Amino acid sequence: MAFDLKTIEALAPDQASLSSASKLTKRSNWVRLEMRDAMLWGECQGSGANPYRVVVDAGDQGYTCTCPSRKFPCKHSLALMWISATAPTEFAPSDQIPEWVNDWLGRRRKNGGAPAPTAGSAVKNIGEAEVGEVDGSAEDPAAAERREAAQRKRAEETKASIVVGLEELDQWIADQLRLGLSSFIDASGERCRRIAARLVDAKATALASRLDELPGLLLTLRSEERPEALIRELGKLVLLVRAWRAAPDDPELKRFVSSSETREQILTDATALRITATWEVLGERIETRKDGLVSHATWLMAMGGLEPRFALLQDYYPASAGRRSQAFSAGERFDANLAFYPARQPLRALVVERNNTVALDTSWPAAAPESVSDPLAAHIVRQDAAPWSGATPILLPAGSLARDDRGTLWWQADGDVNNIALPVAGNPPEPVLGIPLEASVGLWDGARFDLLAARSAFGRLDF
Amino acid sequence: MNESERSGLSNMRDCWITGGAAANLAPAGWKEIVAAAPPPDRERLLLAIAGQALDVAFRPVAPKTLVRRPALPRLALPALPEGLRPPFRVALRQASDARGRMRVARLAAARGFVAHPFDWMPTASDLEAPPVYAPWLDWQAQGGGKIERVLDELKAESWDDFYPAARRIALADIRRSDPAKARALLEAKAGGEAAEARLALIALLRVNPSAADVPYLQSLSGDRSGKVKQLAARLLARIGQAATDGEASADATELAGFIEQARTGLVRRRIIYMPRELKSQEQMQRRAELFDNCQLIDLAARFGVGEEDFIAGWQLGGKDGADGAFAAMVAASGGDAAVARLAERLLAVSDLGALLRLLPRLDETARRSFTKTALAGGIALLPLLNAADEIEAGMLDQDELTGSRLYQEVRAAIVGRTETDRRVFDLAAFGFLATASAADAIVTDLTAAGLASADPSLALLRFNAALGNLKS
Repeated sequence: MAFDLKTIEALAPDQASLSSASKLTKRSNWVRLEMRDAMLWGECQGSGANPYRVVVDAGDQGYTCTCPSRKFPCKHSLALMWISATAPTEFAPSDQIPEWVNDWLGRRRKNGGAPAPTAGSAVKNIGEAEVGEVDGSAEDPAAAERREAAQRKRAEETKASIVVGLEELDQWIADQLRLGLSSFIDASGERCRRIAARLVDAKATALASRLDELPGLLLTLRSEERPEALIRELGKLVLLVRAWRAAPDDPELKRFVSSSETREQILTDATALRITATWEVLGERIETRKDGLVSHATWLMAMGGLEPRFALLQDYYPASAGRRSQAFSAGERFDANLAFYPARQPLRALVVERNNTVALDTSWPAAAPESVSDPLAAHIVRQDAAPWSGATPILLPAGSLARDDRGTLWWQADGDVNNIALPVAGNPPEPVLGIPLEASVGLWDGARFDLLAARSAFGRLDF
Repeated sequence: MNESERSGLSNMRDCWITGGAAANLAPAGWKEIVAAAPPPDRERLLLAIAGQALDVAFRPVAPKTLVRRPALPRLALPALPEGLRPPFRVALRQASDARGRMRVARLAAARGFVAHPFDWMPTASDLEAPPVYAPWLDWQAQGGGKIERVLDELKAESWDDFYPAARRIALADIRRSDPAKARALLEAKAGGEAAEARLALIALLRVNPSAADVPYLQSLSGDRSGKVKQLAARLLARIGQAATDGEASADATELAGFIEQARTGLVRRRIIYMPRELKSQEQMQRRAELFDNCQLIDLAARFGVGEEDFIAGWQLGGKDGADGAFAAMVAASGGDAAVARLAERLLAVSDLGALLRLLPRLDETARRSFTKTALAGGIALLPLLNAADEIEAGMLDQDELTGSRLYQEVRAAIVGRTETDRRVFDLAAFGFLATASAADAIVTDLTAAGLASADPSLALLRFNAALGNLKS
């Protein structure tokens, strides 16, 4: 059963959803549009860094989307239905149903019939939505000036508020040193929560979130490792605070202290680094934070270069929006132009333009030669440039994993002469202990190496 | 970082852990850096320097106790291509238990592929895993040390060079081609193995048993493992040797008490053996134990007949699972002719539940008959087909499957029904039995009948079909 516009109109939760969906019916918004039987799916590049994956079942009008919208169906689902009604040939027939579509199909519960039209269906009109926004009246120059002045005033007030918040943070750090890190570790949850709340009030929200996560970070470590981890993290905060005071408008520092730029700001920033390459999806890390947001990080690595180039697609959405499926499949490769957020060592990026998935015909770039003698060389470079940074993505040379007598896994380079080994985070599958790793990629956070992927004689290994 | 900085940092860390000002403990160079800062800032600046030093100047040192596992051996078959790993994983996820997952791996092995080690690996105790996985079984059982051994022919001298799974497979090969040599190896070396390993090795004598095995099997009546003793007694029974110990004889006599001998037929007055009706749960339990402990030959002897005569006279259709328990005893201890005779009778009455117990002893033709009978029997027999491990993978073509009553009933439960009143059965048996083209045809047919194209129950069928697409 195919969609018709009347059905889409009935399904839409409100007129605004229809209007938004109308703008997404352009083919250029969709990286992929495919179908098999009654199943339609696509990937839409929305406002997040990761694309939204949308599936629609034309058989019973079921739908799902990975976007965090609380409207059901969301504009992406409506747009996919709309394209199927007006331009069904845009959907490429597919022999295979992707795993993420299968996952949804396996989980869903069907209600056996078409959903009832929403209560507000009488006031929705798909014709109006297609017309789009026609309000072209230009803003009064005086009003624009007033708006900009208000914006400047708000920015100054925010800055002043942050200054006060950072004073409190400075004092708080001094207090922790005076009272002892041992007692801090025992009461880190309560102490961090209090200062995080103060920083939220002071509009230093990014910094507040970082402090909120600190107790959780400490808990992942052995007790004897915690004091040094704490010294490292508090030391980074001291440096970040001083750097921000020196350059409060620095975009990187602002991002670490208060808030991030919008997607539009990055896309219109002519100075933002842009790289077109074939990118491989190394893996994703989806974590629920204390502040109620879910951090969705997708790590990419450019293929074919002489040295590794990484990119991080980072999204945040409310945990109340529910569990989201993965935005990409690990190991997937695609050609894309990425715009990087301005930084001393640019890493966070947005997809500007993405083409279809490409074949796995190029190998990973070589790990830096010095990484055999010092696997953390890349981390040092990053810390020198931006010492407040968190985990560093690292491409390690050939090596293998071994286990110590306490059960911790360690990665060590083949031919290591300096007796360096990196403790590995989590519990990788047991077979990896018997697989020589030709190259490994992961995140070094100063204490643990979080393996994302590796290459081996058994092919690509995903962790 | 020099020694003075290292020592200063250590002292500062200890001071901060307990609480207090560490400025006086800082290395001289660091003190100079922070000297210009106002006193309240100095402690924080030292913290920043210390934190940065910990981040960039130290490298984690490999513990002395690091233990490396031996390299995971490459198997004789190629790993599934990347494109087939997702449908393989989906099929694994849909399997309800370890046995079901093993069946997915068996299908792949039957088509010439092994799993990627991150997707599936047999555990060390999975002796029923396809033989190609033997090196991984040994790797699983091996905690550390080298595993890459150049395996020569299995002999008494090279016995210890083989890891358990590889040794068991090599011995099974020898038993098939040279039964006496395999027995001689067991006589020489099995006694040195642990009970579980000894049991698995001696079980290989089930292949090509003969009178020449009798002295060795009789010698096992003194084995320290009860399971090994029981196995030896069953193997002896299979080659026509009745029990000699008093306990076994007493059990057979007690079991005979649960069976009534009678005559039937007006003219030929044939002797029959009918399981008596049981009156309590305790009786049922005791009879089940006795069927488990006794050998067919001993039971038949209590009635003064041979195995085949006893089977010919056994009255099928007894209550309380009597036929199933009897079939299990026949499978464990009956001779080949007795097993074939009982299988024939069970097939004739389509008692596939009892016949399932005999499957490990049946040849390929009889197993096929089991499958075809199940397919012809309708949907009630689907669980039995799903439970049959011994059936060969990927051998039934489209007509054999889709033309069957069982398939037609599965299809009828889908076609013309809505999601809410549709019952989708476990289709793993079809996924396992079908040829690739048959699997593809079944997916097409069931989706045309109304099943969602990505319905999870189609997972093994889809994987099967994908394996076929790869080869074509």
